[in-house]
Amino acid sequence: MTTAAQLPEEVLALSARYSYIEMNARTRAGQLLDPGTFCELLGPFDRIESPWLPMQDIVPQSDDGCIVAKGTIDGKPAVAIALEGKFQGGSIGEVSGMKMATALALARQGCERGIPTRAVLSLESGGVRLQEANIGELVIAEICAELIALRQHVPVVVVVAGMTGCFGGMSLAAGLASYVVMTRQARLSMNGPEVIEQEAGIEELDARDRPLIWSICGGAQRHATGIADVLVEDDAAEIAQAVRALFKRGEPTHLRSAAHELYIERLAQLDPVQPWSAEQIREMWKDQTP
Amino acid sequence: METSATRSWATRREGKLRRMAQVEPWLKGKVLPAGRIVEALEALLVSGDKVVVESIQKQADFLSRSLAQVNPEKLHDLHIIIAAIARPDHLALFEQGIAKKVDFSFAGPQSLRVAQMVEDGQMEVGAIHTYVELSARMFVDLIPNAVLVCAEAADPEGNLYTGANTEDTPAVIEAAAFRDGIVIVQVNQLVEKLPRVDIPAGWVDIIVEADRPFAREPIQTRDPAQIKELQILTAMMVIRGIYERHQVLSLNHGVGFDTAAVELLLPTYGEKLGLKGKICRHWTLNPQPTLIPAIESGWVESVHSFGNEDGMEQYIAARPDIFFTGRDGSLRSNRVFCQLAGHYAIDLFIGSTLQIDPEGNSSTVTRGRIAGFGGAPNLGSDAHGRRHSSPAWLSTITGDSPTVRGRKLVVQVVETFKAGGVPTFVESLDAIQLGKDAKMPVAPIMIYGDDVTHIVTEEGIAYLYKASSLDERRDAIAAIAGVTSVGRKADATRTTELRRKGLVAYPEDLGVRRSDAERSLLSARSMRDLVTWSGGLYRPPARFRSW
Repeated sequence: MTTAAQLPEEVLALSARYSYIEMNARTRAGQLLDPGTFCELLGPFDRIESPWLPMQDIVPQSDDGCIVAKGTIDGKPAVAIALEGKFQGGSIGEVSGMKMATALALARQGCERGIPTRAVLSLESGGVRLQEANIGELVIAEICAELIALRQHVPVVVVVAGMTGCFGGMSLAAGLASYVVMTRQARLSMNGPEVIEQEAGIEELDARDRPLIWSICGGAQRHATGIADVLVEDDAAEIAQAVRALFKRGEPTHLRSAAHELYIERLAQLDPVQPWSAEQIREMWKDQTP
Repeated sequence: METSATRSWATRREGKLRRMAQVEPWLKGKVLPAGRIVEALEALLVSGDKVVVESIQKQADFLSRSLAQVNPEKLHDLHIIIAAIARPDHLALFEQGIAKKVDFSFAGPQSLRVAQMVEDGQMEVGAIHTYVELSARMFVDLIPNAVLVCAEAADPEGNLYTGANTEDTPAVIEAAAFRDGIVIVQVNQLVEKLPRVDIPAGWVDIIVEADRPFAREPIQTRDPAQIKELQILTAMMVIRGIYERHQVLSLNHGVGFDTAAVELLLPTYGEKLGLKGKICRHWTLNPQPTLIPAIESGWVESVHSFGNEDGMEQYIAARPDIFFTGRDGSLRSNRVFCQLAGHYAIDLFIGSTLQIDPEGNSSTVTRGRIAGFGGAPNLGSDAHGRRHSSPAWLSTITGDSPTVRGRKLVVQVVETFKAGGVPTFVESLDAIQLGKDAKMPVAPIMIYGDDVTHIVTEEGIAYLYKASSLDERRDAIAAIAGVTSVGRKADATRTTELRRKGLVAYPEDLGVRRSDAERSLLSARSMRDLVTWSGGLYRPPARFRSW
């Protein structure tokens, strides 16, 4: 007969955990705000859809894959913006990008009027939406400009949880944030692995080699090399707690985007002909906080 | 006519000695230098030979790649006996004329090209078998002249260690070694001392060290992250409506997400129902990682396996009470024995399929592909030779004849529609047309309707073993076939009657609440959770890792 097993604590903890990765963008936005304060702006019933996708035989979505919600974080006014990785890979089109840029602008205007408004972004995105690329690129520029303007007033926190990852234009947005929170499953990189393989060949990078990909741009490596500030488990409560803690911490002592000299220097140290292992990069960069 | 005085009774032995003599100068003991393998195959084989190429989960790929390099003018028209046509080099044998005829079981990954090559006349199919059926024929009318197999390691004497992936190697070698066939083995390495001896040196003729470790596939590893809530609902119904009701103690699970969901619900949902120790104690199953939470929670008493699942080695070594292991701690799998166990000794088989017709016949065939059967038909059929009973086996008895007998539970679990809105329930199986197109003697049915005891969909369960007529069987299937063309024929009054008689049960009839079917009910929701459950002993293969 079987006997009752004594399960270790790590195992028991699994059942108490709600996965943030499994949540859709709307649930994620609600999770990041104080309970009961979620108020969606330009929700699906406002029917603001991409005009470009139907022309290319792609069914649009009534929120265009971008959720914007007002609410509070620790009782302070806040806006949560979450991209839906399952709709067109979280890509930035005219509508989704403009929702994001405008939300950030409204938060900035709030700050300027004496109502500091916190901004948290949950980014799952392959970057600009190729079906509406020109407008998408323009609006990404606006998002970046608004991020720089807003972070003069309040910290901006970016959460990258996975499984889509955060690439292209949205990796720039993460780079401009005051703080970046990542899970181990998340990836953060300018060019996605598939794009690198397509452009440079499989000899350069095998996008299906999952351990290799995560050793380059996975959450653990990004955290170990100072690209991400906090590494969290895939636990909705832990992620919301990490975001709160960062707003409590206030302005960061340094901004990553201000440390471009350091990053240029880091890149200059690398001989691109040599294959570099994740461990070597960690070793080289561990003492250089930006 | 020859008389027994003039006739040689040892032509096979003489032939083997003659062939072996040609390669003798190249051998050191039994070891052939890898660089000589193509020449050696040309010398050891004769056109028209029956040759077994080992390939299911583990593949003797160095030998099959080498065989594809022989000169087709010297060696041609081989008759290949192969469990799974899996690799491009398997097909290259036929494209180049090195091989002509094939007897096989499964062609999943190459099913499209196999169908084309048969149509083009490049490949002649003897028959398509189940795994254990093909092994059986190796001892009757498909006795091999040579077998190309693989092992982890060999010692200087020529003993073999097949490691966790023993699979079919002992059966295949047996068929050749004891009827003067030539046994050629590729090994990953030559070592001084083996952890254990799986094949004695006396059964082996030639050993060659491969250029890289043999190819292998973790075919039953499923990522819990991909289990959907609909599959959790069906898994809950399976536990309540079948395992609990029939007291299923021993079983086999197919390779689907539905059954992975059942495994992951045992420590949560099953525990809540108080079923631990009452169901699911003995398994014939690969050591699939989704079973870890049930093992750790004390549900599982034994697991016998067809093959290995990569990454499970350390976990298995730490749980010898559960798995079949050698003295060295490593898994001992054996496909033939596990298939026999799955045919004769289990209460229940449950698996998914692609198409079911109104009478419950099912098939995984899609048009234009010849995919074969694998092991499902043996696991998914009643064993008419079975004579021992168990509570589950007896629970299917519906008549009161003095010579009545029980049945194995054969369960098909499907969603009424597959991805892309393709219906699972169809008026006529694609297999019937494919059988005609490919000139097969009978349609390739995976599991026959009269063997199926239960069909489970997200709508409910049809208890087909209770049907007293074909009409009743059809009506029960229609009642759970949703809005497919088969399901739309269901008559509401008739369905109510079938529910009352217990031929059909919907979730509410089973005490299953649809709204309870949430992912949070899974004991592990990702590969990382499985690693945590295993105390870090399970090491998922690269393609399953997202960290």
